[in-house]
Amino acid sequence: MSDPRTPLLKVRDLSVTFGTKRHPVSAVAGISFDVYEGETLGLVGESGCGKSTTGKAIMRIVEPTGGTVELEGRDITTEKGRALRQLRTRLQMIFQDPISSLNPRRRVKDIVAEPLDCWKSVTGDERERLVQDLLSKVGIDPLVYGNRYARQFSGGQCQRISIARSLAMRPKLLICDEMVSALDVSVQAQILNLLEDLKNEYGLTLLFIAHDLAVVKNVSDRVAVMYLGKICEIGPSDTLYEDPEHPYTKFLLGAALEADVDSPVHGDVLEGEPPSPLNPPSGCRFRTRCPNATEKCASEEPLLQEIAPGHQVACHYPLRTLARR
Amino acid sequence: MSDRLLEVRDLATTFATAGGPLPAVGGVSFDLNQNETLGIVGESGSGKTVLSRTIMGLQPRTNVTVSGSARLNGFEVVGASEEAKRGIWGTEVAMVFQDPMTSLNPVMRIGKQIDEVLRVRLGMDKAAAKARAIELLELVGIPSPVERYRAYPGQLSGGMRQRVVIAIALACSPKLLMADEPTTGLDVTIQAQILNLLDRLKSQLQMSVILVTHDLGVVATRTSRIIVMYAGRVVETGSTRDVFQNHRMPYTRALLESSPKVASHSHTRLQAIPGRPPNLMKLTAGCAFAPRCAYATERCHRERPELTAAEGPGHAFACWNPLPTTRGAS
Amino acid sequence: MSDQLEELTLINRPEKSRPLGLLFWICVGWVGLNIFGAIFANLLPLPDPLFQNYSAINVGPGIHHLLGTDDLGRDIFSRIVFGSRVSLAVGAGAMLIGFGLGAPLGMLAAYRRGRFDAIFTTFMYVLLAFPAIIATIAVLSFWTPRALVKIIVVIGLASVPLVYRVIRTATMGIATKDYVVAARIQGATDTRILFKELLPNVAPIGVSFLLIGIATVITLEGALAFLGLSVNPPTPSWGNMINESRTVLAQNPWLVIFPSLALCLFLLCLNFIGDRLRSHFDVTEVKL
Repeated sequence: MSDPRTPLLKVRDLSVTFGTKRHPVSAVAGISFDVYEGETLGLVGESGCGKSTTGKAIMRIVEPTGGTVELEGRDITTEKGRALRQLRTRLQMIFQDPISSLNPRRRVKDIVAEPLDCWKSVTGDERERLVQDLLSKVGIDPLVYGNRYARQFSGGQCQRISIARSLAMRPKLLICDEMVSALDVSVQAQILNLLEDLKNEYGLTLLFIAHDLAVVKNVSDRVAVMYLGKICEIGPSDTLYEDPEHPYTKFLLGAALEADVDSPVHGDVLEGEPPSPLNPPSGCRFRTRCPNATEKCASEEPLLQEIAPGHQVACHYPLRTLARR
Repeated sequence: MSDRLLEVRDLATTFATAGGPLPAVGGVSFDLNQNETLGIVGESGSGKTVLSRTIMGLQPRTNVTVSGSARLNGFEVVGASEEAKRGIWGTEVAMVFQDPMTSLNPVMRIGKQIDEVLRVRLGMDKAAAKARAIELLELVGIPSPVERYRAYPGQLSGGMRQRVVIAIALACSPKLLMADEPTTGLDVTIQAQILNLLDRLKSQLQMSVILVTHDLGVVATRTSRIIVMYAGRVVETGSTRDVFQNHRMPYTRALLESSPKVASHSHTRLQAIPGRPPNLMKLTAGCAFAPRCAYATERCHRERPELTAAEGPGHAFACWNPLPTTRGAS
Repeated sequence: MSDQLEELTLINRPEKSRPLGLLFWICVGWVGLNIFGAIFANLLPLPDPLFQNYSAINVGPGIHHLLGTDDLGRDIFSRIVFGSRVSLAVGAGAMLIGFGLGAPLGMLAAYRRGRFDAIFTTFMYVLLAFPAIIATIAVLSFWTPRALVKIIVVIGLASVPLVYRVIRTATMGIATKDYVVAARIQGATDTRILFKELLPNVAPIGVSFLLIGIATVITLEGALAFLGLSVNPPTPSWGNMINESRTVLAQNPWLVIFPSLALCLFLLCLNFIGDRLRSHFDVTEVKL
């Protein structure tokens, strides 16, 4: 790691395996990355690549089967009971489905106050004041809407309420799991801007998980690309989007649809579909669809290696070196 | 014009609900020529899906009123009997829905599902239907179609299922393919594959395609004309280039500017549209976008603008205070 | 078509849900009247249901006897009102036992899953495979002398697996929702999640099932009475009265009509209320 800062979140060899002993499905197959204080790390990939599972394993919503996750030096994977519950308030998560994220039978102000009530950290007037403050911060008028039930709100409003709730305990790290993908573009922009504002105001660090490349680029300082349970490339977002080193990243970017009439109609479309995680290919997991694959790719798994400061790629033949040849 | 395939005039669809009438589509007119790809763009609740289903003649039997006209190759869909509509479904117009899993029967082999259409609609015998079904599977780019013919929908990935749905839609060689969010929910790389497939099939089979979507990226390079819908009405229409580069309606611009771009830098502030889409049951007499519009004047709140022609061919917008034209300037 | 309506109603959601309707309140009124009658039967100006008036045997409905008398000259109206006590007590009591045991277990099993769930669910499914009605009849025929409490206990225990299954399934659908996960990551304890997140969402399903359960149990009591396995005569119950009237059906059809009508109406109302409440509380159901 060339970055001199100390990471807030340190993920090492994290793996999650589902299924039975005889038919294990390795959803996350040993990934390592750091998230530095105050930055936004984007995690992109297609469905089934393990990006959501990674987020859930960090929160211990699903149990990791291997590796460590350290938040401010404390290993989350070994904590239990009350200590785990307490540690979890340092990191929070926002989910994809805004409607299902809120209990339809509870009032908005109670939903936002839930973390406070769990820990009895503030009560009475102060609790009331804090809830009002949080709701106004996310653009929901507490006096008008505070007493309404969650089921009366639209997707965008529900997501705002979810954000307010997640901020109640002043977490350090916010994991956003596809938090805008269920929203309309016009609402999506509102939420992304709101997230950016709150990040600055609350000094948040974000792990932003999404499949939409444009959205991820917009919010992220660095981006990690996942394919079939592995990280194939990680680097500063502008560099990674302009000069992708991993062939998969390049295909992914090439397939992204731009709202621009002059954008090229996709020449290089990645053919086929990802192999099943039940039976991943040997060596490099992308080799079955990669145009540059050789025998080495089948026999030897490429490890993440730094090719430029802060830019790591897991490929035997990174595109830049390939071009130089 | 002889090459006109679809003529929609003042088409309106209103649902009767417990809370009062819900005007999902409020008077839409447009034409579609043969071999043309039209994009219908709008956010959820804009009426794009209801519009496409109304044109198909697919609306619930009760609690709905449809007025206006939709003539498909001379056939008036509005008011037509179920029996008559069955005659055009498949042969004149076919539909591809968003979720391939719900449009396929999960307990029936995919081959049988295509066969059935061919045998019932085209009266093919068993052997001919099977041969044609395999041909169709091959046409939509399904690898090893002979083996896949015997597969169940659950054994296929989302992208493959959508290909099967397209194959079924193409079974009776329709003149118009209505694709409602055909790639929503699919991965980007698969999305590109499906859109390329639709493009190829369109020119190969001489079809017209209506692409209904919320994603401007989907229609940007795939359509020749676009209709932008808001609150059940057309707010702007024109050639794809005009709509993207010379839009006059502030909503169109807001829609374009609010979506993040891969090409722009990280942390670029997005131009969000304030507020949210209106409640269709509480529409006012004015422009439905006025409450969210930066250019709205008193007139906008009072009086609804009708579509007015702009310079570009077929370009029209519904706005009292349109954005200045950039045509000719650049 | 339903998806586009759903999309539309999500955006244009009515702020108030549809009123429950007049019929619903009529049913509630009828059920309330029955409950009132059962509780205050002693205080009401009714003739003694056991008093045999030999000067008025098999009298049709009239001024002196509102619904007539039976073959022993007992007032039918009075017997129906007093009889409702047995039916209502069995319905409420048995469901109290059934829900008291079945509901907490079902919720806990669905939330905890794992071994706890596996053990209880297997056990309950074994019980479910056992023919409950035959078991109830068998137990009641041997457990003499029969008393109301015994009937309640036997039917109540027999209903536990059914309640368990319904509540477990209902809870499982809710336990996987994101808001339950969200509560977990905010540090809510399991108890708190059970009471704050799960219970309010399971309760409406539970209540409508409870009403239908009461109706089923009342029918079962009627059937048991018909077999002579309910409370001993001369204590009236709706089932008892129908049973006794068999022999004099030809002479006095009122004897069977009125208790049957009382039973039917009560059950109909309960079922209707249960069904109406279910759709009323179902927040996901499209309200069109």
